[in-house]
Amino acid sequence: MTASAPAKPAVVTADAGPAGDRGRGLRRVIAYALLISYSLLMFVPFAWTVITSFKTLPDSTRLTFIPQPITLEAWEYALTNLEPSILVLFWNSLMIATIVTVSNLVLGSLAGYAFARLRFPGREALFVVVLATLMIPDQLRVVPIYILFSDIGLTIGIGQYIAVIVIMAISATSIFLLRQYFLTIPRDLEEAARIDGAGFFTTFWRVMLPLATPALAAVAILQFQGTWNSFFWPIVFLKNVGHLTLPIGLTFFREAGGLSNNWPPLMATVVVATIPILVLYIFFQRYFVEGIAAAGVKG
Amino acid sequence: MAVAPAVKSQRIGERSEALAGYAFVAVPMVFFLVLQIGVLFYAAYISLWDWNIRSGPEEFFGLRNFERMLSDSIFHTAVRNTLYYTLLWVPLTMALGLFLAVIVNQKIRGQTFFRAAFYFPAIASSAAITVLWIFVVSPGGLFNEIREVLGLNPLFEALGYRPNHNWIGDYRTALNSVIILNTWTTSGTFMLFYLASLQSISNEVYEAAAIDGAGPWQAFWRITFPLLKPGHFFVATVGVIGGLQLFDQARIAGGENGAPAYALMTVVLYLYNALVPQLSPGYAAAVGLVLFVIIMVATLIQRRLFGGAPSW
Repeated sequence: MTASAPAKPAVVTADAGPAGDRGRGLRRVIAYALLISYSLLMFVPFAWTVITSFKTLPDSTRLTFIPQPITLEAWEYALTNLEPSILVLFWNSLMIATIVTVSNLVLGSLAGYAFARLRFPGREALFVVVLATLMIPDQLRVVPIYILFSDIGLTIGIGQYIAVIVIMAISATSIFLLRQYFLTIPRDLEEAARIDGAGFFTTFWRVMLPLATPALAAVAILQFQGTWNSFFWPIVFLKNVGHLTLPIGLTFFREAGGLSNNWPPLMATVVVATIPILVLYIFFQRYFVEGIAAAGVKG
Repeated sequence: MAVAPAVKSQRIGERSEALAGYAFVAVPMVFFLVLQIGVLFYAAYISLWDWNIRSGPEEFFGLRNFERMLSDSIFHTAVRNTLYYTLLWVPLTMALGLFLAVIVNQKIRGQTFFRAAFYFPAIASSAAITVLWIFVVSPGGLFNEIREVLGLNPLFEALGYRPNHNWIGDYRTALNSVIILNTWTTSGTFMLFYLASLQSISNEVYEAAAIDGAGPWQAFWRITFPLLKPGHFFVATVGVIGGLQLFDQARIAGGENGAPAYALMTVVLYLYNALVPQLSPGYAAAVGLVLFVIIMVATLIQRRLFGGAPSW
C-alpha cells in the first residue's frame, strides 16, 4: 500500500534508522516490481496484436509468444485481399486528419491571438460562446447537421469527406489552448513591431506565431490524433466503402468484410490503424501528456 | 489644438484593431454560431415533426416522438445499460486514475516513463482498441488462455463461465467487458487530470501533517483526498458526460443492434440507429434532446454532491 501514499519524503521520516532503512529498501523493490509489472500490462495487449499478425489462424488462438510458424500471410492478405484496400483507408484517414489539423492551426491561432491580445467590443461574450460549445454534446448536433448537410449535397460522394472535415475544422479546445499560450508571451515584442509600422496581421504572422511554436505543436498533435481516431462523425457521414477511414473500415471488415474471426489479418489492420499515432507518441510524448493536462484544467 | 489629431489617430487605431479582431475570429465564430449554437434550436424544431430526410417536415407530431420513446422497450434497455455503464465505469476509472496519479506524482525514478506507460492505452483509436479487446476476450483469446494457465478455471466454472467463454459475445458479460476495456484505456487520461490537481497542493500542508505525526495513509485520506475536491468534481463531470455518450465500443462490438440481446444497446447507439439506418431524423432529434436533459441533470446532481460549484 506504500505506493498509494503521497510519499512526500518528509512524511516517511518516522521510520528512519537502520532497521527502517532495510524495510524501506525491500518495500521499494516490491513497489518498483509492481510498477513495472503494471506498465508491462499496459503494453501486453498491443504486443499480442503485433505477434498475432504474424501468426496463422490456428496458431492465433494458442498461447504462443513466438508465432509457430512465423508467417507474413496475414499481412499479405490484409494488404492485398481486403476490399476496400487498407492503403486506401490509410490515405483517407491521413488526408482528413491532415486537413483538419492544418485548419485548426490556422483558424485556432488567428482566433486565439485575437482573444488574447486584440481589443474589440464583444470579445468576452464571443469567447464565452467558444467555451460554451464544449458543453454541447455531438449527439444533439448530429441530426440538424445531417439534415443541413444533406440539403447541400454533403452526404453523397466526395461531399461526405467535406462534411467530416467541415465539422471538425475548428475546435474550441484549439482556440483555448492557443489563447492561453499567447497570454503568456510578453507584450514588448509585438509593441516594438507595431512601432516599426507592422500591421496586425504582420505582427501576428512574423512575431507572435513563431513564438507560439510549442503551443502549435501541442495543438497539432492533439488534433491529428483526435481526428485520426475519430469515430462518431465519420461513421455517420462516410457511407461509400471507398471513402471510409481506418476506424470505420475496421468496423466494416468485422461486419461485412469477412474478417470477423480471421484474427491475424484483422490484427494486422489494427496495427496499421495504430502505428502513426504510436510513432507520434514515441517522439512527442511530452505534448500528449501536457496537452491533455492543459486542456483538462481549462474550466 | 495639437491634441486633436493624436486623439483622432488613436481612435482610428482602435477601430482598425477592432476590425482586425473581428476578422481574426470571424470564420470560427460563424462555424460555432451555425454548427454549434444554431443547430440546437433546429434540433428542437425537428424533434416536433415527422421529418423526411429528403423532403423535410411531413406532419407536425408535437410530443409524439417523445411518447414513442417512453413506450419503446428497446429505448428503456438503452437507458438502463447507459446508466449501469456510467455508474460503474466512472467510479472505477476515477479510483484507478487517482491511484496512478498519486504514484507518478511521487519523486520516483522513471517517473516520466511510468506516466507515459500508464497513459499509453489512451492513444489508440476506440475502433482499434475495441477490435483488439474483442480478440483478447474471445473464446480462444488471451484472457481465456491465461486463466487456464493460471489454473483459475475451477473458480470461473463455479461462477458459471466455461473455459472458452465469449466474454463480449455473451449478454451476461458483454457490457462488463466494455466497462473493463474503457476503465483500462481511460484511467491514463484521468490520471493526467488528477495529476494537474495534485500538483496544486502545496508541500507545506504535508510537512505540517508530518510534524503532527500523520502517516502516509492518513495524510492521503485526511489531506490529499479532501483537497482534491475540485479535481474530483472535474473528473467526475467529464466522466459522467463521456459515460452517458457511450457509443463507439457498443457499435463496434455489438453492431447496430447492440448485440447480443441488446446488451450493448446504448442511448447514443439508439439515436444513431434512428438517424442513419432508419432515416427517422425527427425521432433521432427527440432522443438527442432527452439525452441532453439527462446529461444536464446528471451534471447538476454532481454539483450538489460535491457541495457547490468549485471556483472554476
